[in-house]
This record gives sequence, structure tokens and C-alpha cells, in this order.
Amino acid sequence: MKILNSLKTGMLRSMKLWKGILITWFCSFLLVSIVAIPMKSALNAGFGNSMITEKLSKGINIEVFADLGDSLKNLISYFSGGLFMILLVGFLLNCFLSGGLFSSLKGISGTFSSSKFFIASVKNFRSFFFISLLISLIILSLAIIIVVFPVIIASHSESSPDGSGFRTAILVTSFFVPVLALVLLAADYGRAWQVAHDKNNCFKAIGFGFVQTFRTFFSSYPLMIILLLAQVMFGWLVLEILPGFRPVNEAGIIFLFLLSQMLFFIKILLKTWRYGSVTKMMELDIAEKINNTQA
Amino acid sequence: MKIYLISLFTFLIYAGSASSQIINKKQLSVRQTGYRIDAKLDPVTKTISANMEAFWVNMSADVVPDIQLHLYMNAFRNSRTTMNVESGGSSDKKQSETGWINIKSFSDRDGNDMIANMNFISPDDGNDNDHTVLKVKLSEPAVPGDTVFIKVVFETKLPLITRRTGYSDDFFFVAQWFPKFGVYEPAGMRYATKGGWNCHQFHANSEFYSNHSLYNVTITLPVEYVVGTGGVLMNETSPDSTGRNKTLTYRAEDIVDFAWTAWPGYKVFTDQWENVKISLLLPNDRIEQVGRQFTAVKYALEYFAKNVGPYPWPYLTIVDPPSKGARSGGMEYTTLFTSSSSYMMPEFAHYPEMVTIHEFGHAYFMGILASNEFEEPWMDEGINSFWEERIVDHYYGENSGLINHPFLKVSDEALARLSYVHSGARQDVTNKEYSWNYPHGTYGMMSYDKTATVLYTLMGIIGEETTNEVFRAYYKKWAFKYPSGKDFIDIVNEVVTKRWGDKFGPDLNWFFDQTLYGTGICDYKVANILNSRIDTTGVEISGAHTIKKDPKTNEIRFKSEVQLERAGEVMLPVEVLVHFKNGKEVMESWDGKSRIKDFVYTGENEIEWVKIDPDFKITMDVNYVNNSMTLYPDRIPVRRLTNKLISFMQFFMNFFFL
Repeated sequence: MKILNSLKTGMLRSMKLWKGILITWFCSFLLVSIVAIPMKSALNAGFGNSMITEKLSKGINIEVFADLGDSLKNLISYFSGGLFMILLVGFLLNCFLSGGLFSSLKGISGTFSSSKFFIASVKNFRSFFFISLLISLIILSLAIIIVVFPVIIASHSESSPDGSGFRTAILVTSFFVPVLALVLLAADYGRAWQVAHDKNNCFKAIGFGFVQTFRTFFSSYPLMIILLLAQVMFGWLVLEILPGFRPVNEAGIIFLFLLSQMLFFIKILLKTWRYGSVTKMMELDIAEKINNTQA
Repeated sequence: MKIYLISLFTFLIYAGSASSQIINKKQLSVRQTGYRIDAKLDPVTKTISANMEAFWVNMSADVVPDIQLHLYMNAFRNSRTTMNVESGGSSDKKQSETGWINIKSFSDRDGNDMIANMNFISPDDGNDNDHTVLKVKLSEPAVPGDTVFIKVVFETKLPLITRRTGYSDDFFFVAQWFPKFGVYEPAGMRYATKGGWNCHQFHANSEFYSNHSLYNVTITLPVEYVVGTGGVLMNETSPDSTGRNKTLTYRAEDIVDFAWTAWPGYKVFTDQWENVKISLLLPNDRIEQVGRQFTAVKYALEYFAKNVGPYPWPYLTIVDPPSKGARSGGMEYTTLFTSSSSYMMPEFAHYPEMVTIHEFGHAYFMGILASNEFEEPWMDEGINSFWEERIVDHYYGENSGLINHPFLKVSDEALARLSYVHSGARQDVTNKEYSWNYPHGTYGMMSYDKTATVLYTLMGIIGEETTNEVFRAYYKKWAFKYPSGKDFIDIVNEVVTKRWGDKFGPDLNWFFDQTLYGTGICDYKVANILNSRIDTTGVEISGAHTIKKDPKTNEIRFKSEVQLERAGEVMLPVEVLVHFKNGKEVMESWDGKSRIKDFVYTGENEIEWVKIDPDFKITMDVNYVNNSMTLYPDRIPVRRLTNKLISFMQFFMNFFFL
């Protein structure tokens, strides 16, 4: 019941927060456009008035790009640099905006104030930055310990049977994913706790996150699994739709743009749903605790 | 005396069996050499102890004073061998990881000990540390028609698997393991001006040049081992008195090398293509690859039989080695070859099929048409790559032979072309070099990829059917002989002239001199399209925008011009497709010789676009981007790509952040 209630409330709150999601979408669009738009110009300049682009009608053609010669080398180095920049700035941006999102999801009244959103983003930035950094490091360490090391050992063992590296990878990944869900839950609880408290204290927030995760494990964990499954299924849907869609005219290109951005908007909405559901779960738990104390 | 008589008797029986037919009804080659080997594998010490009887027939008109043999396992003896020096001077390995071959006894037909007549030579580089070629002075020189018999007792220590031979744990791939005759080339054979042995050292980039031979090989090894060889199993004894070993007897006819593999983990599958029985050995975990491997090799058999010539042996063995023996993957021994795949290899990646088709193809260009790979590596690896690419792309998709995924499609031919046209060293050397003389790691690019690209270009010029005719004629004339590059080009000239007359000149030497034997690049480009309005006398009208139409004819007339350039050194005939705004198209032919070429048209229409080599027949062209020009470039593909790139980066970012 608590799970359904959290999911429902989380969804309602995130829907009401559409303006916040729009801000998040816009910022990410702006960020990637900084890299993508100059790339488009560089590609157009590289191809010039050539008709070789006809070969791209069926998708990526390595010959076409390779024949760009030095232009391709420049494009690759620009893209690599751009991707690194996006990861770096994107990380900071995500820390900043998720502060606003979490804060706006807290007992939402039904109205969205962009000024409050940004004030909360600024207020929570430092704490959210450290929470994100620490949790990311935890996830990276766990991935190395649980996935990378066993796979390397299994692959390089002379006496192990054929395909043992692949089998080990499947096995350890199927163990890692549930652990990842647990850590994400702790991160979300930590951030939900942080926005509920005035003082920035990332360590306390993370501590609370893990305590809350394990204390409410049987209700929180299924909740997180449902939310992650929804995101995975949506990701699969996106992969089914976008890569194979190859419009050949102006209207098609505009449609592709609108469709892809709409899908990304839904992706942010799904993540916000996760934030909202975890926040609600925490609120329910705190309310329950208060009731129990009063009783 | 008794030993001598028995020995002579054995030799006589063996000599008799050399011309007997067991596998094929007809003898395929002249069988200038033959081998009978009794080998025993010791899996603990990783050694093979063997007795070998072999013969070489002096088919020349020369009196030959010595014989030369390959002892290729010595290439793995230490870090100072030619192979190791060429590979970058690897440091000395542990004794257990080295490989070598020791001759314990060497005698002639009469049982005379010839150990004292032996000495190692290094005909290619004079490296005294390289013991991969053995020269043995004969007690009496071999006169024309003589058969030289030798009896050798040797021990081969296998290296930790490297260069497609050796051991890995309980896996064995046994290649380059016995003393093998070089090829005696009399004057007039290939490029020989006087008779002599052609017996090269083992190099980092070289594999085969041997006579087609007869092999009778007996292998004794522990009972649990599953064995695959390049021969036909003639007999298998039940375990010996200890119950630990079994003995297998194989025979192979008219192949240039005999290799075998043994591993307890192999599963054996069989299939049939026409009269060819195909055996496949692979690890149990890779059973899902069985269908793919059989299909690929059957495609190759079918394509070669149709377009080159028949596969003449009634059997074929494919080995897909386990991961621990992966370094033996992708190698050819005529009737046995190794493929390369892995557990859960995705269906969209046709890499195992590509390797299988490539290695099988060597049965033709190394096995049947036994060219000298040391001196003209392009004749085996290059020609074979050309056929591999044709087969892969023919059966698995013209533009998706190698990778056929909704996100990415790559053809086998495209990959080879890119390897050549975008190599920084593409102009460093020609294909005239011996295999070990290719500088800066250019061997693979030059021997495989450039040659295949050159042959694709040739096919673009002379046509697919003529190309197939060339190879059918090449097979017919040179099967089980030892053709040189010149012999191949002579066949091309003969067939093309017969089919096309002098359309391409008296011969095609101009093509090979520029492409295969030249360092120039091919690059044709469209420099400009000019459309200008003209008056009725043909004079260009300045400020033409003020005159809408010709007052007399009431039509606008144009002088339209296409300006083309040859930016590279290579001159090849090309087609030029000119498209006008009213949809009319003109296909022009350009001999491609001048640096600049203009096509001028006058009429009611402006040129909209132009394409040099519209069907991409000249694959040697190093830049396809400049081969065309349009007044109205289509930006849709780039915009679509940018859209997807934006989405990719957005989702990528969202996925990685909490």
C-alpha cells in the first residue's frame, strides 16, 4: 500500500513539476547543443557540395566519414573533448538542478515557483555535489570490485573453460544491478533528507540515506526496483524508436527533433518520478514514526 | 646390413606409394616431395619425438649437390632469431616457453650418417643466430631424375603458443614442426635465372612456399585427446598396453604443409558439401557457432567452385580453437585451417565467417596455386583477401558483409579499402618487396588491403565476368604449379585482350605498373560546376540577370561546364555522370590521364550535379568525398545525424548522473 501510495504521489508531484522538468530539459539541451551545433557546421563544411552524403541515407557509413580525412580527425578530437566537457559540466548541472527538483517535490502544494526552484538549487548545491560525488565513487568502486575484477580474472584464467569471462560478466552484473539499486536508493533518501533540513551536511545525509534504505528495505527496495524497471523499459523503447528512424525530408527532420526531445523530456519525468516517490516514501515513514511515537 | 635392407625396402614401398592414389582418384600434382612421419606427442614436456623418411626428386636438368630444409620451429629458440628480431626483439622467454627442433640423426638412402654434412644457413639476412634453414651436402650430387631419400630422427619442442603454433595448457596446435624441403627452382621457373634452392628463413611476415607433397603421418598421443589434421584418418589403433596412448594414421595428398591439433576438449561435427566432407572441431561452449561455420565454408566452396575452379580434395577440416589457444586462430594449411570466434559471438558480427572464408580461400591461393609467399606475399594474402571480401559481401550483404547491425553496417570491402587509402604509409613501398622488407608495419596493409583494393579497381575497369574468367584461366593453367606475379599478370592480359580486344591497350601492364608496382595514389575530383547564360552566338552575357530569355528563340541558353582534376599520380579510365536540371543525364568517359579535364555543354539546361565514378568502381580512389559536386547539397543526412547526436548525448548524460 505504501509502495503504491508513494508511486502515485510521486507521479502526481512530478507531473505538477513540469516547469522544473522543462528547465532541466532546456539546460541539458543547451549544454549538448554547445557541442553538437558546431559539429554540424564542421560536418557540413567537410562534405561541402559533395553528394557523398547520399551514402548516409541508410545510416552511418564509415567510408563516408573516413574519407573526410583531416576533418574527421578534428571532429573526433572535438567530439571527445566535447563529451568530456558535457560530462563535467553536466555533473555540476545535475547536482544543481536536482537540488531544485528534490526541494520542489517536497510536500508539493500544486504551484511551481521558478524562483524557489533556483533558490533551492543554489542552497543545496554544495551538499548535493558531495553526495553525488561520494555516491558515484561508491558505485564506481563497487563496479570495479564486483564486475571488473572477477571478469578479468575469469577471462585470463588459462584453465577456465571457454566463455567463462562472458558467463562471469553476466553473473556478476546480475548481482551488481540490485546492489546499484540499493545505492541509488540511499542517494535519493540522502538528498530527500537534505532538502528537508536547513543545514548542509552531506555526510549526515548519506548516512541517513543508507540507514533509511535498510530500515525500510522491504518497502523501499521494491519501490526502487519498479521505478528502475520503468526507466529501463523506457530506455529500450527509445532504442527501438530513435536509431532506426531515418527521415529523408525537412518535415521528417523536424518531427525527429520533436520526438527525440519529447522522449528525453519523458526520461527526465521518469527520473523525477523516482525522486518524488522516494521523497513520499520518506515522508510516509517519518509520519508513521511520529504516529508511533505519539501512540 | 639387415637394417640397411629393411630401410631400403621401406623407402621403395614409400616411393611406390608416392604415386599411388588413396584419397583422390587422380594425382593432383607431380609430388616432387613426400614425407612419412611417425610422431609421438608428450603433453607433459610439450615435445614431439619423431622419425621421418622423406624424398625429393630432382626434376631439373641440374646436378644438385645439396638439399635445403626448413627447420622453422627454431624461430622460437631465442630472442636473436630473425623472426624475433623482426618482431621487435622480444626478450628471452622461459625455457618452457621456447620452441626448437633438434635433429638427432640424419642419414641418406644408404644409411650414411649425414650429420657432419649439415650446416645452418641464413640466405636472407646472414643472421648466424637463426637456425631455420638447414643445408645438407649430399654424399653424391643428385643428377637429373634422381630421388634423394633422407631419414631423420628429430625432437620438436613446442613453444607457448605463438605465431599459430605451440601449446597452451593441454591445447596443442602443431605447425611448422618437421624438417621440410625448400623448393628447388631450375632456371626459368618463376624469376630464377639459374637453378637453386628457394628456401627462406622464418620471418615475422611469411608463411609458405613449398612443393605439393604426399604425407603419411602417424601420431601417438594420450587417448583422451581429440585430433584434427590436414589429412584423412586411415587407421586408429586401440589404446596400447598401458591403456594411455592411441596411435592415429593420416594420409594427405598434394598439399604444401601438414599441421595438426590435439585437445581433449574438442567436439567434432561433420557436414557435407557436394563430395567434400567437412569436419569442424570446436569447444563445447561454442556449439552455437557450428551452423555459422558450416554455412560460411559452404558459401566459400560454392563461390570458388563457380568462379575460380573446383576444390579438389574430398575433405576439409575446420578448427575453431578454444580461448586459450586463440593465438592459433586464423591460419591456413590447405585442407585444414583455423577460424576464430568466441563464446556468444553476436549474429550481426560476421567476423568468424570472414575468418573462415579467408582461411579457406588460402586452399586456392596458397594450396592449389602455390605462389611464393615470401617473395610475392600479395599473390596469396592479397588475392585471397579480394575473394574473401567478394564472398562475404555477396552472401552477407553488399554494404553489411562484416557488420550488419541496425546502427552500423560495414562491408568487408570497405574496411580493406579504408585500411589502404587512409594509411599514412600507403606510398612508402610497392608490392614488389619480399615479405620481410615492408617498412613501418606496412606488410599487412600492402599485402592484404592494397592488393584487394587494386583487384577491386581492376574488376571495376574490366568487369566482374572478365575478372572471374581471369581467375578461371589462372586456375586452369597454374593449379598445382608455382606461378609468379608475372604469370598472373600474363593471364590477365591474355583474358582481357581476348574479351575486350585493345579497349584497354595492348595489355594491362600499365595498370599493374601504376597500382600494384607503383607508389602513386589515385584521386579524381570535381573541381567546379559553372553555368552561365549565353546569347544566340554563344557569347556569355555579363549581367545576365537582366535578360530573362533569348529574344529570338524565347529561351534561355546556357554554357555549362564541369571542371575535373586528377589530384593523384595514378591514371585510370573513369566514368563521369553529368546531371542537368531537367533530369537529363550524360555519362562521359575520361581516360583519366590529363591533370585537368573539362566537359562543356551548351543548351537550354544548367548542370545540377556531377559524379566521377558514380558506381564507386575505382575503389583505389583515396577520397570519395571530392568525387561529386552538386549545386544543391543535401543537408538532411547531417541534420539527422546532429539530431541523433544531441539525443545520444542527452540520454548518455542522464544515464550516468544520479
